[in-house]
Amino acid sequence: MFACIHGRSVSKSAADSGAMVLTLVELAFTFSPLVEQTSADTIVLDVEGQDLLFGEMAVTPNDESNVMSNIANAIVQRANHLHLTVNVAMAANADAAIHAARSFKGVTIIDAGDELLHLGTLSIRSLDYSLAAVEEKRVGEFHETFALWGVRTFGDLAKLPLPGVAERLGQEGVCLQKLAQGNSDRRLNLVRPPVGFEQSLELEHPVTELEPLSFILSRLLNQLCANLSEYAVATNELRLRLITEPVRTPLAGNRTQPAGGVRTECAHERTITLPVPMRDSKTLLRLVLFDIEAHPPVAPIIQVVIRAEPVKPRASQTGLFIPLAPEPEKLEITLARLAKLVGPENVGSPELLDTHRPDAFRVKRFTIVSANRKRISDRKSEIGNRKCLLGFRIFRPPWHADVQTMRGQPMRISARADSSRRVSGKIVCASGPWHASGDWWRADVWARDEWDVAVLDPTSPEQEVLCRIYRDLSSEQWFVAGIYD
Amino acid sequence: MNAVIKREIQLQIANRLGHVFEQREKRPLEIVPTGVSEIDHVLDGFPRGAITEIHGAASCGRTSLLHSTLAAATSSEETCALVDCSDTFDLSSAARAGVSFDRLLWVRCNSNLENAFKAVDLLLHGGGFGFIVLNLADMPAKTLRRIVSTWWFRFRRAIENTPTVLVVVTPVACVRSCAAMALELKNEGAVWPRADFFVTEEEQRAPASKSEPGSSHLWLVPANDRYKIGCAAVHHSHLLQALTVRVNRERPLAGSDRTVRFAPHTHLDCIR
Repeated sequence: MFACIHGRSVSKSAADSGAMVLTLVELAFTFSPLVEQTSADTIVLDVEGQDLLFGEMAVTPNDESNVMSNIANAIVQRANHLHLTVNVAMAANADAAIHAARSFKGVTIIDAGDELLHLGTLSIRSLDYSLAAVEEKRVGEFHETFALWGVRTFGDLAKLPLPGVAERLGQEGVCLQKLAQGNSDRRLNLVRPPVGFEQSLELEHPVTELEPLSFILSRLLNQLCANLSEYAVATNELRLRLITEPVRTPLAGNRTQPAGGVRTECAHERTITLPVPMRDSKTLLRLVLFDIEAHPPVAPIIQVVIRAEPVKPRASQTGLFIPLAPEPEKLEITLARLAKLVGPENVGSPELLDTHRPDAFRVKRFTIVSANRKRISDRKSEIGNRKCLLGFRIFRPPWHADVQTMRGQPMRISARADSSRRVSGKIVCASGPWHASGDWWRADVWARDEWDVAVLDPTSPEQEVLCRIYRDLSSEQWFVAGIYD
Repeated sequence: MNAVIKREIQLQIANRLGHVFEQREKRPLEIVPTGVSEIDHVLDGFPRGAITEIHGAASCGRTSLLHSTLAAATSSEETCALVDCSDTFDLSSAARAGVSFDRLLWVRCNSNLENAFKAVDLLLHGGGFGFIVLNLADMPAKTLRRIVSTWWFRFRRAIENTPTVLVVVTPVACVRSCAAMALELKNEGAVWPRADFFVTEEEQRAPASKSEPGSSHLWLVPANDRYKIGCAAVHHSHLLQALTVRVNRERPLAGSDRTVRFAPHTHLDCIR
């Protein structure tokens, strides 16, 4: 038993039309999981077995037409709630239901065997050739043939002898005749139901502590990960939405602000991006908890919504000769803990910026890149041929220094970062000045004269400290940039 | 006689408590090359699953050795982590040494010693890192001597039976008995360009002679002859040519103290 819903309230706007199609599909899914979207305005659904739900209202439960009528009325009623004007046709044949829904207004019930009775009067022009898999360019040819034969209605085509139709029009003609008779036999091209990897829970009492919240999150994430496993997918992005109690104070950041001091509910939203797809609920729970701990909501929580973005799961194969690397899930937790400990800006993979400005770098997110055997051997040989280079330790920020000069050359230095770290004494060796400047087109132009010096500390005369000092040409002040080590 | 008595006591206790006096069999240590051929020639490298301590005063070559080691480790696609207590890691010199930043996790602790130790602990227990460096090079010796030994015992316990190398860089020896290897580096003197020349940026290809003191050039203090090493034949005028360091190999690995010299190479083109 099939039901066909044909939307009549088609808007001229493409956006509205798209929205109506989505609504029609959603409407169909409320009645059956077996749904076909035949065209933009026509949906067919298999309602076999729905008599258990809609047969109770029937006067005689075994009366199938009453059940069909109840289902059709329920569909129309629900469509009206959604502000949709629809035609609904019920039939034992899906294609018969489609033609009836497109042609007759309101509800049409076609009992099994009465298809030709209802469809026979329909114009042959309303026959849907696409249901018989007829190519678009051949539709005109069929129209001409039917006009020459004097076939005006479905009934005319249905009454033609089958061998003659098959001889003259081939297999397509036979299919078209079956469509006209309401006897076609085809399987529905089903639409996959929209999978929503979202879990939410409204709380009876507001939650203020992290520990009770963790139990709630654990439950939601377990269910979410079970759904992901069921569909053989993983997630690389979690969207957490915490609805909090109304607050009066203005909020900052990514929280929606209540308007004009009115007490309204606030949504605390966080997006947790994962470097690799994963679906381990324990790992996800820890990451979510770390994130909430770092960015807590401002008011007690009354509702929790978690949504996962489904992606293809990670598939990797390690090699015998590839060095061990941290497991991505464990690494993410370690990175989250480190970020909590020292701050997210202090954890990551360094990257030098393409500029001559001293110590210009940025810290990016640390991820494990897969090892390449060839690249390993290339780099090993490259490093093997390289000599040990002199290292440098840079001071951030540079230490301010008092430098005594003679004829422009540094002779004595005294610099101190704190009570225990200092560089002071006589400069016994020096080289310079090495002029460096850049970014003259910007407001933060820099220019300096650098010197490499060996400082003899009076407290440890046998120990020379090799430093790089510079004179900032804009402020005419001396600094210690770092130590050669 | 004592050995016989000891054996009898052990047998009696073994019936009740098991073989508690038997030492566990130690598996042979796997060695990771340091990237400095002179040191690898003598020591083979740093042991995995153990703590290695590199200590020495400022400008003794600790950072040079560290950069070379990180370059060797990252070139082998090892995942490395650097816990930088004082935030003194210079990216330019590390990149020149060949360190691949794609495989390096940099944790800056802003001179917070406690955070640095906690970060190392997290990394060790996270697992999977081939090389972890705790850089305490700029911390005061007084502070380092106050570090309680339980931290080092905890690290030693966490790292054993793992393929991780933990290197601790300090100004003074502080890891004590928990270090499987301790390297003491000493600066035997910097090698400078020819001492009887003035050096300026403008005249680096044609250095002025010492007999022109009136010019605005810098006079280099003569370097002691004993500091000069083979590669000191300079062709450019930049100051630092090489450092000579001494490495001592200490307990608990077998072998007596040895001294090896290596010279971090500096070239003008690399520096500027």
